[in-house]
Amino acid sequence: MDFDDTPDEAAYRARVRSLLEEHAAELVHLDAGEEAADAAEQQQALRRTQRVLADAGLVGVSWAREHGGQAGTLAQQAIVNQELARARVPTLINHIGLGMCGPTVVAHGTPEQHERYLARLLRAEDVWCQLFSEPASGSDLAALRTTAVRHGDEWVVNGQKVWTTLAHVADHGILLARTDGDRPKHAGLTMFIVDMHAPGVTVRPLRQLGGQSDFNEVFFDDVHVPDSDRLGEPGEGWRVALTTLLNERVAVGGGGNDLGLSVESLAALAVERVPQLPPERQVLARQALGRAAVAALANRYTGYRRYTAISRGGLPGPEASAGKLAGTTAAELVADAGVRLLGDDAVYGRGPDGDDGRWQRNQAWLPGIAIAGGTNEVLRNIIGERVLGLPPEPREDKTAPFNGGRR
Amino acid sequence: MNFELDDDQRAAAAGARDFFTGSASAADARRALEDGPVAPGRSALAGIGFLGITVPEDAGGAGSSVLDLAVVAEQAGAVLAGPSLVTAARAAVLLADHPDLLAALADGSTGYAVLDGSAPAIDALGADAFLALEDGALVLGAGEVTTGRPMDATRGLGSVRLTDRRVLAENAGARWARARDVALVVLAAEDLGAAGRAVQLGVEYAKVRTAFGRQIGSYQAVKHALVDAWVGVEQLRSLVWWAAWAADSAPDELPLAAAAAKAFAAETLERAAGTCIQVHGGIGFTWEHDAHLYWRRAKVDRFVLGDEAEHLDTVAGLVLAGALGR
Repeated sequence: MDFDDTPDEAAYRARVRSLLEEHAAELVHLDAGEEAADAAEQQQALRRTQRVLADAGLVGVSWAREHGGQAGTLAQQAIVNQELARARVPTLINHIGLGMCGPTVVAHGTPEQHERYLARLLRAEDVWCQLFSEPASGSDLAALRTTAVRHGDEWVVNGQKVWTTLAHVADHGILLARTDGDRPKHAGLTMFIVDMHAPGVTVRPLRQLGGQSDFNEVFFDDVHVPDSDRLGEPGEGWRVALTTLLNERVAVGGGGNDLGLSVESLAALAVERVPQLPPERQVLARQALGRAAVAALANRYTGYRRYTAISRGGLPGPEASAGKLAGTTAAELVADAGVRLLGDDAVYGRGPDGDDGRWQRNQAWLPGIAIAGGTNEVLRNIIGERVLGLPPEPREDKTAPFNGGRR
Repeated sequence: MNFELDDDQRAAAAGARDFFTGSASAADARRALEDGPVAPGRSALAGIGFLGITVPEDAGGAGSSVLDLAVVAEQAGAVLAGPSLVTAARAAVLLADHPDLLAALADGSTGYAVLDGSAPAIDALGADAFLALEDGALVLGAGEVTTGRPMDATRGLGSVRLTDRRVLAENAGARWARARDVALVVLAAEDLGAAGRAVQLGVEYAKVRTAFGRQIGSYQAVKHALVDAWVGVEQLRSLVWWAAWAADSAPDELPLAAAAAKAFAAETLERAAGTCIQVHGGIGFTWEHDAHLYWRRAKVDRFVLGDEAEHLDTVAGLVLAGALGR
């Protein structure tokens, strides 16, 4: 047991680090919790950042060469993620494309689709979004109602998607739609690649709890999608979507990184603020700090177990699915301890002096994390049934025709 | 990075599981509450070599690591075995310069207990020799043991007044601190095993018990409670491995890792044991059922060697002093 890089990993890390230094002037850098001043400018800068990184061989590290990747290992991808974080490079703009859409296209796309989409995705020439959730189907994704009807060589799409991260800047999306309402819910779905600039696509940003707009609702009114942009066979959409969702879990679980502000950020705040508190308050603040640190460390070291599994060439074991649950809990403890340390400033979104509002923003971001990428309740069902072997709930909706008496 | 047990450690865990499931059980823990013996008992543990895992080979031990011991301790915890490997681990550190005393630890001819002032000490009942820190000196002596009605009889808790003493080492503060940290790690490892077993009992029952026409494990209220308890166990496993590794390979990290593991172990075992009872319903609240024996272990262990509040404060102090590293 050790926490050191293997000689190969250490050499790779050194190369990544020197590449990041070499290209530093071309990359966006942000401190944890820091906000960019101009959102539109930031979009362009983030696209440029990903392009520079892609050209340096630091994007799609574990993808096959034929798909524009580096044919590296998942461990090397994890090293790149760690070094990007260390260099204060924010999350890549095409993270949905890299984590979810791209792997789905790789697994189910035709050679023509590979050729057409993947290299541009890696360089953020096209930004991608994932068009899954709908107003009436969130956790119950297979209940979605957006339809695609075939007319010769085209499909005509009508319906609405929601909570679509990046749709407002995306060029393409993977769209799960119902193509046969007479079949049971999971069997009547088909996956498509959709051009977000096509006529009939309307994107409306949604303002989130914290005031920002990272996600959107997307309307489809008679949007024409060529059959050549169908991803997988008609009726196979659920199987294709499971590829996306599996990759989502690997993408989220692979690195063992903190969700939200790190425990190191909390420690820095505590060093500054705890000594200013009266003694009886210091006792409480230290308990909160200790509890948050223990939860964060437990989650971090569990991440190292996942990383070990990955670096041996395996997929993460059952503990990966628990990473988001424990990570959310730890993040909430860290966030709450941080906000409490702000004292009077905690009642403002940003304090009148000094405080930059990062802890309040962090606090306002976390409720969404417990929902995104599978709600914590859905993840508990997955762990309960797939890991612990507990019986599923009875589900008559799985076998009944989707349209049968339900609409 | 290689944060996983190796093949030898996995084999050792399997061997320890066989030994402990064959030599101790929750039923033994129940009998101990009714004045029966603690199982498997000191001589059986000595016989299989588990009291000397971290004792050097030239003193009759296996000369293995704290991590090796933690792997075995998890299996001991799963069946609520006694006496505790916590005592063996802690005494092995304290007696490092005394081969004869170490040999008596490893072969079971002396039953040691380690005293933290007047606090109830693990395995004080049945011990013949007591180790304590007095004015910075490590002392060994005989003592008088007083005890109350046990909550968890497998822990052998008692308060001890030394009746004679000899000094083993002056200025033993640093060694004492390390020994206590190692004890925290092994206690957390035993709690890991107990918590894992409590969750397993709950899961097994939820698969067979039916209510309202289906297995209770299919209800989210039951399923999610068990999942949360299981997630806690896996998180605790990571802290226990890290802390044990730190004891062997990164002594500077040990105080943080040991305190974190102990604090998290207290919470994890309480939740696992409490969930086990609730999943079982009324039968889980009976003397005959095993659930309360895990619950008893949880209610005792959370206070032994310092409670959660103490260890969270230790973690906070270390974090404020810059201990977060990797």
